[in-house]
Amino acid sequence: MTLKIINMSDRYENLFRSTLRIRRIEERIASIYASDRIQSPIHLSIGQEAVSVGVCAELSKEDLAFGTYRGHALYLAKGGDLRLMMAELFGKVTGFAKGKAGSMHLADSAVGVMGCSAIVGSTIPHATGAGLAAKIAGNDQVVAVFFGESATNQGVFHECLNFATLHRLPVLFVCEDNQMAIHTLNADITGYSLRELVSAYSIKYAAVENGMDFIHIANRAQSSITRIRRGEGPEFLHVHTCRYVQHVGPGTDVGFGVRSEALINKWMAKDPLYLADDLVKKFISEINAEIDEAIDFADSSEFPGASQLLEDIS
Amino acid sequence: MEQEYLTYKESARRSMHALLANFDDTILLGQGVSDPIGIFGTTLGLIKEFGSDRVFEMPIAEESMAGIAIGLSLNGFYPIQTHIRADFMLLSLNQLINSAAKYRYMYGGMYEVPMLIRAVIGRSWGQGPQHSQSIQSTLSHFPGLTVIMPSSAQQLEAAYLEAREKRRGPVISLEHRLLYDYSFNIRDRNPAGPTVARYGTDVTIVATSIMVIEALRAAEWVFKHHQISCEVIDLHRITNIDIEIVIDSLKKTSLVIIADTGYREFGVAAELVRLIVEQGFSLLGKPPEIVTPPHCPTPTSHALEQFFYPTWGLIVEKIYKLLIPKFDVTTYAMPSRSTVAESYLQFKGPF
Repeated sequence: MTLKIINMSDRYENLFRSTLRIRRIEERIASIYASDRIQSPIHLSIGQEAVSVGVCAELSKEDLAFGTYRGHALYLAKGGDLRLMMAELFGKVTGFAKGKAGSMHLADSAVGVMGCSAIVGSTIPHATGAGLAAKIAGNDQVVAVFFGESATNQGVFHECLNFATLHRLPVLFVCEDNQMAIHTLNADITGYSLRELVSAYSIKYAAVENGMDFIHIANRAQSSITRIRRGEGPEFLHVHTCRYVQHVGPGTDVGFGVRSEALINKWMAKDPLYLADDLVKKFISEINAEIDEAIDFADSSEFPGASQLLEDIS
Repeated sequence: MEQEYLTYKESARRSMHALLANFDDTILLGQGVSDPIGIFGTTLGLIKEFGSDRVFEMPIAEESMAGIAIGLSLNGFYPIQTHIRADFMLLSLNQLINSAAKYRYMYGGMYEVPMLIRAVIGRSWGQGPQHSQSIQSTLSHFPGLTVIMPSSAQQLEAAYLEAREKRRGPVISLEHRLLYDYSFNIRDRNPAGPTVARYGTDVTIVATSIMVIEALRAAEWVFKHHQISCEVIDLHRITNIDIEIVIDSLKKTSLVIIADTGYREFGVAAELVRLIVEQGFSLLGKPPEIVTPPHCPTPTSHALEQFFYPTWGLIVEKIYKLLIPKFDVTTYAMPSRSTVAESYLQFKGPF
């Protein structure tokens, strides 16, 4: 019994540390953004990290993940290399894509981060196809795909629910519901209940109301992934969360007249990272040192040369 | 010379069979791949032989089909997608252009998405504006895709094997519906890729897809009637055009006619003229002549179709215009548009 409690505590601390690490990395990215060393758009996950952390904690290295332009948290939670990401954001040749991807298209083949797209909803069929591949190959691989609630407005989302349920594919659909389509409330543009929609496709649906609760998310993901791995077909995890920052860039959208500061404060009041100073203290210097090292690596790396412009086209 | 005749359609089926049989990771997916028509006969029987894990009947949902192919490719398989009409592929352009074409480049070579997409240009018999389009130039505009138009049974088989064995990205093949029932002597010559389909010295005709057949007919006609010697080039590859084969021919002929199934506006013909002007301007004895459909949607009525589709009679007129400018085509028994249309009347539909 004692052993179990220690394990539970370790699990909490691990997930807390992982969430804190992503938060600090993105806060650092935001803080150096004005220095113009990252010369491309950034879409921060600040506030939403727990979704990626909770789900990825239950995925193996061999499992695959697809994401979106808001992909830092997923990339890092799945085990993507921070140095290679930072160099990529800086447009350096030492980045994982030699500077051709940048912040919106994160990938790390070593840990199954299969790609992040800047076209809303467009990696959903990639994950569906990768799931089909896993099913044909007959292995126990699970494919997770992360997308926002407004991606469910895309036709291709519906197409994929149909195909995934028809063929009982090993796909976990993870909806990070931050209620915002850029600067529009999703409720203003969506005319269906996601629960009812997903259920209509006979896909098992679970909702997590508190998207700050990485343990709850991990528990939900664990149940789903276990069933998916057993061949029981695709599942859908709908996590309600909040991005504290604006759609793109390091700032806030409070004051735009769409979301109130009170709403964001309500979420922050539930945010474990603001409620456990002792754990923050325990991990922060190690995390900061890792970030310093990654930024140094990016700063000291070379830019790609003109000869690389036309490489890897077709 | 040995003779072994094979229709274009049979070669496509033989190719699909060979790719499934010889490469365990090949997956065939498309609308109708397992139905009784079997993509005009080119996939018939394959699901029975290779099973429903290798041959997938797909929902009528083209964007997801293309995206699923990307996922299959990323996760270790080689997908072959089919579209019984190239027009339907327009629904999947988001996946093809925003993702498939860029996957290798965008991730700095970390990932590749090799795949083959077969799409049929539906020209035949009243197919109208949404069942007959030639979209090769649209697809070729974006870097990252390889677009081919096999003009014969031999070209098709060689190209699909080459795509499977050598190409690291998506290859899109536009197959012309009217080629499907043509027989080719597959021992006759073994072209693979851009090739000289007929050697000649007076005028160069660069052609794509079924326009290669039309060009060969025109060449035969003008040789028979006026001993004009045409060199016919089967362009085959629309992306990364083999301009050297055209320039080499122009050095002999100094005259060029370009015959394409797509529009000349922003099309293959326009691109070829650009390349010729850039690389062989001084070789041109006269401005190039272009044979393409007029810039309007495809009409459905056969009464209008015959004025829409370019045929070998038009190529003959262009040859005379370049070589015998004073020749009065109105006084000579030209292959008229209606006689050309006759040759397609054997086609009895429905699609």
